[in-house]
Amino acid sequence: MKNNIKITPEGTRDYLFRECTAVRDISRKIVNVFENHQFHRVITPALEFYDLFCDDSIGISQESMFKTTDNKGRIVVLRPDSTLPIARLVSTRMQNEVLPVRLYYNQTVYRNNPTLTGRPDEIIQLGVELIGSVGKRADLEVITTAVESMQTLSDDFRLEIGHSVIFEALADDLNVSSDVKDKVKTYIENKNYSALNDILDKLEPGETVSAIRKLPSLFGGVEVFEQAEKIIKSSKALKAIDYLKDLYNELQSLNLGDKLSLDLGLVQRNEYYSGIVFSGFIQGFGDAVLSGGRYDKIFDIFNSSMGALGFAININYIAEQARNSTDKNIPDVLVFAKTDSDIMPAIKHTSELVRRGVRAQFSDLSDESQAREFAAKLGIKEFEVIAL
Amino acid sequence: MKPLRIALTKGRLEKSTIALLESIGINCDEIHNKGRRLILPIGDGKFEVVLAKAADVITYVEHGVCDLGVVGKDTILENGTSFYELLDLGFGRCKFALAGKKGVDFFHGYNTKTVATKYPNVTREFFEGKNMDVRVIKIEGSVELAPLVGLSDGIVDIVETGSTLIANNLEVKEYVTNISARLIANTASLKLRKNEIEELVRKMEAQVK
Repeated sequence: MKNNIKITPEGTRDYLFRECTAVRDISRKIVNVFENHQFHRVITPALEFYDLFCDDSIGISQESMFKTTDNKGRIVVLRPDSTLPIARLVSTRMQNEVLPVRLYYNQTVYRNNPTLTGRPDEIIQLGVELIGSVGKRADLEVITTAVESMQTLSDDFRLEIGHSVIFEALADDLNVSSDVKDKVKTYIENKNYSALNDILDKLEPGETVSAIRKLPSLFGGVEVFEQAEKIIKSSKALKAIDYLKDLYNELQSLNLGDKLSLDLGLVQRNEYYSGIVFSGFIQGFGDAVLSGGRYDKIFDIFNSSMGALGFAININYIAEQARNSTDKNIPDVLVFAKTDSDIMPAIKHTSELVRRGVRAQFSDLSDESQAREFAAKLGIKEFEVIAL
Repeated sequence: MKPLRIALTKGRLEKSTIALLESIGINCDEIHNKGRRLILPIGDGKFEVVLAKAADVITYVEHGVCDLGVVGKDTILENGTSFYELLDLGFGRCKFALAGKKGVDFFHGYNTKTVATKYPNVTREFFEGKNMDVRVIKIEGSVELAPLVGLSDGIVDIVETGSTLIANNLEVKEYVTNISARLIANTASLKLRKNEIEELVRKMEAQVK
């Protein structure tokens, strides 16, 4: 048998030097935003029971989860998402907590992607969950937190907001099977106008059908509301649009210009959303880096009812951008101990230098010429010899 | 401003795509005189064209290194879904079909059927929709050979005129779906460069209809 001892599994990678500092720096900035909004960190296990994620409404396919079994033969998975574990945590261990609670996480999630697509299977994700509150105040604060997080990533970003009830209300008015509804939803999500038209052509023409036909094209700025109000007649959908308009107007005070946009056809891949939904994009990365929304329905799984919303940001791409840079943080001083009796004084001296703000490193090499060569190769400018 | 980068499928769809681009007033001289270059500036540097194999067009667009792509629906059905499909371009029309030996009822009997195809995902999904368990064998070249030499009971393949089937005593048993060339867009590009992309789509749409 061939031993795979020199490679890592597909979809995983080592992070070195600049990549690590990039991940660390960006995480710090985002965590700062989260903590400024008084979110508190939680850590959930990397292993969770498969049962937590297998509900149909979750929308995480069985194929995309890494599975193994525990010592009783029960199926466990590497967490494919942090929202469900946090919902589990809140509806069990925190059930007597004063609500609402504000939680954030900074941990990896795992997705078993199809082979040879170049997508990471191990995703470094930061996110917040605001649990136990419904309505405008919570929605606006979480969207603002999302905006501030996007601002730490790039000046050139887009945050797009939508409302999951718009599509749902229209789909409920269609007299079709849930299979067809799912298809329509996928086509709207993918802005697949041609397939959407094919499927709608087979249905009885009417107000709902023509509204759904237009839904994927209803994205952009404020003009979208006017277009939508002309074609959408469902009162439930109109109510959702009114609410979205209200949020959009409030958010204008952040002076984001066209960085904030609307997509009334925004349907998130996870099916548990039940209110506002939003996605964030930045230049140079081909997919949404931020996605989130309101997911009150998730708590049905735990037989409790609660309002909740949150979002997650994938930051792997930051390391990807840093990958071409090989430079490390080079210390300014290399401290060398002349003899064995100088070792401890030299180590203590190094620590003292560091305390004073100098980037100093103690040399572990025992031969002075080797140590000097090491410093020269690395480009360490100063070489200090400790000899008592 | 960075040019909008479009990935085009080489071969069958290439000519029609270039004709479409020219019909909306984009100068494509660079493509006609491409030589061995792989990235070609067109339309006075407003656009950049990349010529690639069909499945690669999807890969480039999915990863966002190309903003737009022109690719056949057959390739889309077989490979991947995480992009926007904006427009049916109307050319490159053909059909996916299940075919088998003439006069033999493909669906008859209890035994599990064997189907040879270049498109295993399309085939699997088609039979899943029929609640049928089939054995799918991937073939790279002339799929029509498989039932003739006894490897499979049928094939799922693209049928344009049907003349290859007739010449080999095969016939279409059922059509799976219609195929034509599509304009696809990267998810983030459509948001970040909405105006440029929408303008191009509007012009193309006017030509296609």
